[in-house]
Amino acid sequence: MAFIDARTLPEATEIEADLILIGGGLASISIAKQWAGAGKTVAILESGGRERDMEIQALYAGAGTMRAPGNPDRNIDSYLVQSRARWYGGSGNVWGGKCGPLDPADFVRRDWLDRTGWPVTRAQMNPYYDRACDLMQIPRFTRDWDNDPDAARPPLNINSDFFSSPRVFTALSGEVDSAKFDAFRNDFVEASDNIRVYLHANVTNIALRRGDRVQGLEVRCLNGRRHTARGRNYVLATGGIENVRLLLASGGIGNHSDLLGRCFQGHVTFGVYENAEGLNTMLCVSDGQNMSLYADSGRANVHCVIATSLDGQRRFGTGNFTTTIFNSSDPPRPEDAAVLALAGALDANGSGARRHPCFFMSEQFPHLESRLTLLPEHTDALGMPRLYLDWVYSERDLDNLERSIAALGDALGAQGKGRVRFPVPREQLLSILNMSRHHMGTTRMSTDAARGVVDENCRVHGIRNLYVAGCSVFPTSGIVNPTLTIIALAMRLSDHLKRDMGVRT
Amino acid sequence: MNPSKRDVLLALAALTTSAALPATAQTAAPDLSGGRAIGQAYLSANPTTDLVALRNDLLPNGFDANAAPRLRARAAADFRAARVFIFKGWRLSETEARLFALLT
Repeated sequence: MAFIDARTLPEATEIEADLILIGGGLASISIAKQWAGAGKTVAILESGGRERDMEIQALYAGAGTMRAPGNPDRNIDSYLVQSRARWYGGSGNVWGGKCGPLDPADFVRRDWLDRTGWPVTRAQMNPYYDRACDLMQIPRFTRDWDNDPDAARPPLNINSDFFSSPRVFTALSGEVDSAKFDAFRNDFVEASDNIRVYLHANVTNIALRRGDRVQGLEVRCLNGRRHTARGRNYVLATGGIENVRLLLASGGIGNHSDLLGRCFQGHVTFGVYENAEGLNTMLCVSDGQNMSLYADSGRANVHCVIATSLDGQRRFGTGNFTTTIFNSSDPPRPEDAAVLALAGALDANGSGARRHPCFFMSEQFPHLESRLTLLPEHTDALGMPRLYLDWVYSERDLDNLERSIAALGDALGAQGKGRVRFPVPREQLLSILNMSRHHMGTTRMSTDAARGVVDENCRVHGIRNLYVAGCSVFPTSGIVNPTLTIIALAMRLSDHLKRDMGVRT
Repeated sequence: MNPSKRDVLLALAALTTSAALPATAQTAAPDLSGGRAIGQAYLSANPTTDLVALRNDLLPNGFDANAAPRLRARAAADFRAARVFIFKGWRLSETEARLFALLT
């Protein structure tokens, strides 16, 4: 009986396991897969069932505002529900499957930016990224597409300030191939004798003993049943928002430095397509350039975005920035045609130019005021306080976007490789951006307890047996979709726990 | 030899249509309306611009064999120095914007 409906258990059942994973998303599943047959018992406590259920999904409801200087505030109440998936498999049920590692620069302490630097380098992460790729059944990210190019898909090679950052799609997504994802999330559980998944089991409180060790968990079901769960080690893996909610609701576990819930960072795209004035975000590229490495490569091929290198970030005083490029067959408007024509005539090969719709992404920096807080007067059906998300962009964030676009445009123009168009005034940035479902930074990782919620092993500072998995531990957010890094960190955490619990890897 | 306005128009028409448009389109009269709109925007932002001086500066010998390489180098230098003109979001070199101004 590998899957158990907690609603059907006798009242006050005590769930016991050596390792308890709170939340049944990709982080927990990735860890649990490493423990199949490991000789220790593992329990996954999942709030939802195996399918979407709107009553359960409503437990996510909260309130939110997105703010940026000079822009009207944007209500994002619905984002709290729509950007998450509260059933077994978590966001793995709904994601598009895009995978990529964070860039090496993302891990580096960048002196010109506050609160940057991870306690782990990209080189140290590479073995875990490799394992994450294997788990996701995608090729490993070992190729340098600029310096070891594919002759049929040549890189743009603008200059050393920019590079081609690769992405690839996995089919292991409920959105892409539900049967395959079902097998991924279920089969290992069915086949193992040491892993149990408790469905409809909502953890509503983490109880401590003597302030430095988890004693147990309170588990509640929507049908009123209450249980407890006890283990040797606990991993909180309910997502970048819900991790904070449970820690705050449990008395502020991990909030020793007042950083719990702060430094919320998201991923957003900045792009317009035939806006009210008929304008598009666009790249004009000299016609001699084959853009198949970047544009419309299909799900089967690696594709690249144009990213700012560490050297470029240092020179421009910016953070990470990418341009994602598409193809277009629409006829250009007269003004666009004029730009394409003149740029194409002037650029190095003088053989014309093509336009490519695109969108830009720029790294949001960690700010203390961008944060999650509890709304104690508003509770859900389980009595849990709801959350308020105050998602704040600073002047520096907006500068980062505009300065990066300008730097890309100047570099393309100076090299005779193209032009850039971004027809959005600063005061409209908030209204045109599209939000991704990535919630990072709210339980940030640091070796220094004064600067983080979890340590370099993702253990909550000051709590011996409580760990956090997921992108809430990211100190900085980079730009690439976080799932592969979540899985890589889960592999790393799994190894750490095995060493701690005497399990041979 | 200073170019006439007609010379410049022909040169820009050649410059902006020869490479960018399919061969079938090149036999038709070029649509310069888009370039003129950019040029008008440049002149609005730089109302003291002297078009004759501009023409002599950008194309001192008309559209001769050296014109394209020289303009290419100037545009590249503009981008390196961030001398740009923004038109509806397009980040253009000042040289490009001034060339469009000659179409007005």
